[in-house]
Amino acid sequence: MIERLGLSPLTIQAESMVAVWVVLGLPLLLGAVGGLVRPARGWPVAMAGLLPLLALAWLWRDVDSEAGRSWMIEIGSLALYWRINGLTLILIALTYLIGLASALYTPAYLREDPQREPRGQAWFWPLLGILISSLSLIWLAVDLLSLYFGLELMGLSAVGLMLLTGKVDALVAGLRYLLLALVGSLAFLLGVSLLLGAWGRLDLAGLARAVEPGAPLWVAVALLSAGLLLKAAAFPLHAWLAPVHASAWIPISALHAGLVVKASFFIALQLWLVLVPEATVAAWAIGGMAGAAVIWGGVMAWRAAKLKDVLAWSTVSQLGYLLLAFPLLIGTDSAVAALAWEGTWLQLAAHGLAKAAMFLAAGNLILATGEIRVAGLAGASRRFPLSLLSFGMAAISLVGLPPSMGFTAKWLLLHAALTGGHWPWLAVLGIGTLLSAAYVFRVFRYSFIEDAPEYEFHPVPWGMDAIALLLALSALLLGLAMEGPLDLLRGAGEGS
Amino acid sequence: MSQPWLPLFILATSLLVAPLIFVLPERAWRARAVVNLSAAVLKLVLVALLVWGFYQGRDYSFGFTVVDGAAFFLQVDALGLMFAGLSALLWLATTVYAIGYLEDSPNRKRFFGFFSLCIASTVGIALAGNLFTFLLFYELLTLATYPLVVHRGHDKALQAGTIYLRYTLSGGLVLLLGVVALHALVGDIAFGQRERLADLGPEAHPMLTVLFLVLLLGLGVKAALVPLHGWLPRAMVAPAPVSALLHAVAVVKAGAFGIVRLVYDVYGISLVHELGLLMLLSVIATVTILYGSVKALSQQELKPRLAYSTVSQVSYIVLGISLFGPFGTIAGLVHLMHQGLMKVTLFYCAGNYAEELGIHRIDELDGAGRRMPMTSLAFTVGALGMIGLPPVAGFITKWYLGMGAVQAGMSWVIVVLMASSLLNAAYFLPILHRLWFRHGPAHGHGNWPEERNLGRFETSAWLLLPTAATTLFSILVGLLAGMTFSPLDLATFVATEEYLP
Amino acid sequence: MPPLEETLLAAGLLLLAALSLFDRHLVRACSWFVAFGLVVTLAWARLGLVWLALLELVLGAVLTGAFLFHALGVTPSVRRPRGFFAHWHDPVPLTWGLALERLLPALAVLAMLGVTLAALDDDSSGSLRPGGLGLLVLGLWAFALHRHLLRRLLAFNVIGTGIFLLLMSLVGPSAMPAAHGLVVIGLVVALVGTALGALLVRRIEALEWAHAAAPRADDPST
Repeated sequence: MIERLGLSPLTIQAESMVAVWVVLGLPLLLGAVGGLVRPARGWPVAMAGLLPLLALAWLWRDVDSEAGRSWMIEIGSLALYWRINGLTLILIALTYLIGLASALYTPAYLREDPQREPRGQAWFWPLLGILISSLSLIWLAVDLLSLYFGLELMGLSAVGLMLLTGKVDALVAGLRYLLLALVGSLAFLLGVSLLLGAWGRLDLAGLARAVEPGAPLWVAVALLSAGLLLKAAAFPLHAWLAPVHASAWIPISALHAGLVVKASFFIALQLWLVLVPEATVAAWAIGGMAGAAVIWGGVMAWRAAKLKDVLAWSTVSQLGYLLLAFPLLIGTDSAVAALAWEGTWLQLAAHGLAKAAMFLAAGNLILATGEIRVAGLAGASRRFPLSLLSFGMAAISLVGLPPSMGFTAKWLLLHAALTGGHWPWLAVLGIGTLLSAAYVFRVFRYSFIEDAPEYEFHPVPWGMDAIALLLALSALLLGLAMEGPLDLLRGAGEGS
Repeated sequence: MSQPWLPLFILATSLLVAPLIFVLPERAWRARAVVNLSAAVLKLVLVALLVWGFYQGRDYSFGFTVVDGAAFFLQVDALGLMFAGLSALLWLATTVYAIGYLEDSPNRKRFFGFFSLCIASTVGIALAGNLFTFLLFYELLTLATYPLVVHRGHDKALQAGTIYLRYTLSGGLVLLLGVVALHALVGDIAFGQRERLADLGPEAHPMLTVLFLVLLLGLGVKAALVPLHGWLPRAMVAPAPVSALLHAVAVVKAGAFGIVRLVYDVYGISLVHELGLLMLLSVIATVTILYGSVKALSQQELKPRLAYSTVSQVSYIVLGISLFGPFGTIAGLVHLMHQGLMKVTLFYCAGNYAEELGIHRIDELDGAGRRMPMTSLAFTVGALGMIGLPPVAGFITKWYLGMGAVQAGMSWVIVVLMASSLLNAAYFLPILHRLWFRHGPAHGHGNWPEERNLGRFETSAWLLLPTAATTLFSILVGLLAGMTFSPLDLATFVATEEYLP
Repeated sequence: MPPLEETLLAAGLLLLAALSLFDRHLVRACSWFVAFGLVVTLAWARLGLVWLALLELVLGAVLTGAFLFHALGVTPSVRRPRGFFAHWHDPVPLTWGLALERLLPALAVLAMLGVTLAALDDDSSGSLRPGGLGLLVLGLWAFALHRHLLRRLLAFNVIGTGIFLLLMSLVGPSAMPAAHGLVVIGLVVALVGTALGALLVRRIEALEWAHAAAPRADDPST
């Protein structure tokens, strides 16, 4: 697994870092420009958003996807380690895509939102830039110092973004989120301190060779995982998620659910694979949490009265699928791990795209009806077919029905669980499917009501629908075209 | 010579029509009708081309890898062709019917869009070359039919939709688990590679039996095998063209077709026989046939009676394949086609009565034969076919079923057949009696529940034409069963392939 | 045996932390915290970590203190705190539920830490480590039992400082640069977190005042 993460000592030491710095710095720069200019239309954002994608393409061309590349950056006597391989390229691409979609959506959203806060807009763009850059850093970094930096930067900018609504409930929810983020970062810091104290180094490749089992390692990993899982809203540390989404701007919710919670998960999984690749019992405990998350999140989403709450709880539930990566990857044989490896990243990407699309589509529905309750969608299928179609296509991926990416991911996870004979995870995946179908089709059921009273509504501009539709389409249709990306995932590290 | 584009084109005709219809504005019903009809005709032509090419021995397979060990794979074989031909034919008929039926009703755009998706999935199921691809389209079918079931948007429809989803999604999940397990066991099996499972040897038999039961459970939901049939009568709240299609080709047949694929092309009939599962299948089929018929007897409304009749009739297919021997196979496969044609006719007729005269209950049908002679004639043909009278198509099924039973040495099946035919007669003949021999509003007694004069003929030509066409086909496939390209010919071809390697 | 000076420093740190965490009067508590920051500066300086000391002075003591006082609404001219947090009583009474939910995790963390430190059997010279541990204990206790946002921010800062001390006591000379990096990032994070919290408190207060002043009729929640 270490090779797959691009940590193999044989990866090429690359000299030129220009492309990496451009990829990391461009979102920051664009964010700063955005804060000054405050674009009111979508097209300048689209133009600017193409630049990071071009930079990424440049980096992609530069990187040999077979072996990946790694860099050591020396700042004085301090050494930082970054690497790039197929997995990180895919994750950065995903980050850029979802980030771009949210950025494109925002100007129109702010024009449409009746309760907009003009002061918030100036802050949105720089914070978005910081968020995207810090996410990219998290995907790239393989030493705990860079990861700590990226994690904190991401956490604080995410808190900042959540507060932009400026309303009391948003601020109170943001306050809770801030405190939780701070607690999480304290746990992370303590864990890192213990590792540094015990083995005197922070680079993951070096730690992988140096660490030996024992109380310091286990306590450090426990602290790191607790901090990260708190930030990832893993069951039972998930209670902060729904209130935070309830009052945030829609594009920010999309970013948060699509990417931010995934980053913490990614770090946690990476640390486990590097530090405790044989901790089967602990991984099964995480698997138990995953099962509880899938079921509890699904049930709560089913019962939720507000549309945004449905989505927030569904995030809790879907993160449960991701947490299944721990028992399926830690201490399992290579056949199971190979399947679960692909399934996990595919699930991450599928949920990222689908949930972002769903939030944007839900935002369109909420703006159009002025209703935040699920019941307020009565008759929506006739009035806003396009928004509902986007919502539906994203939902198909969420439930894991073909031909979506979610289906392909679930297929791989099921296959892994069956191959390894892990019946509990099979049951979790099955129950999760039925529960997600239940909460998704509950929304549809309301939308198909024909004899609904005619609420006042005003349709949203087509551009907003188009963004949601494109994201949803990518989540729906890319499921069958995943061989290329999966090959990239497999290729990562096998060059050694 | 490989021509992979043809199956793809056939899929695309209905798959790409769906977005086109979604884009067209709600008002543009003429444009929509033109798009729908031309796509349906095009598809029929392409399928005909496919049949011709298949007889020339051309290879149409197409595939690409989706994930390691699972591929999207389309291939053409006689079994798939039968199903594809049936769906292409009935799509054209039902599109014509639906255009007439839904005139001036709301949400037609949504209806026709999902209708096209529904047919696309059916054709996908027909052309699927392995279980993975089959599963893709099978689930897509569930999704595409949900908006059609709840189309009316009232409480009853929404409730029926929820129940429909509960059944089909659970069934789909079970099927998914079974397919994944099969992949974990032996990897990707293209339909027709029967030896893969047979080669596993006797120590794998318990595992294979369990897997067969899991897969059967998943497929049985859509095939409405008792006790998994609960969704079907409730789904009757859907508009008539939807019910017609659900029962004739789309959902129910997808399940039955899946069982056929499972038995013949994944496990192979000899392996299933060896595992002793054929007996189980025939018992399930018998129970379903008798239960459906008895329940149909007790229905007072026309559509539910037809629905329970479907529950019963679809199991003839399962019964046919559970009889070890070529005649049983022929009976099952040929019934796949015949039942589709006859049942779609019956549902069109029910729709015509409801649209023209507002009739939903059977006791309101008195004397309708005089008011709507064409429709009633079509209904009579369909009903007689269901009972199994020559020369309508249903007779061939029962004839071959009987021969198959003798061949398989399961003579008790003949008793079941007799009983079921009697029951069929018991629930269809009273309707025919009411249609033709009772005096009703057409003779000056009382009034029709809600009479509308929809067209120059007894009802709108859009409704009448497809009804007449499918009636004609039901008689023709019975009369001309001996000709090449007929369903019986194709079914014989499949059976020969299966039993004479 | 650690030198007396260092022991005194550690004891002073603990005392000041305890005062700032448990003083009932918030303004006084914040003042204690500033004093605490100054002592931490001294501690860094005594260890020869000049840069760290300077950063601690600027970020940890001066700026954090300024933000804390800002949150209280205290300026050189106005000495009495205002605001809607006034009705929150701290510490909350200790119930079984609370103990299970908050105190138990804190105790678990401490127990795990104790085991780890016992396992890392190097010569624990200096009173840095007991000092850091003590700060951790105090901070966790306060965090578990206080609801008031400012107290929680104070507790967060105290825990952070405890971790920094612990870290410095654990690392050898070869890992010093990495430890520096961690502490610097940690200090900045603590400052930004405190600042965000303080600004949030003020903003919520302002909105609550506006809300209380506005007529109730247009309240969407009723």
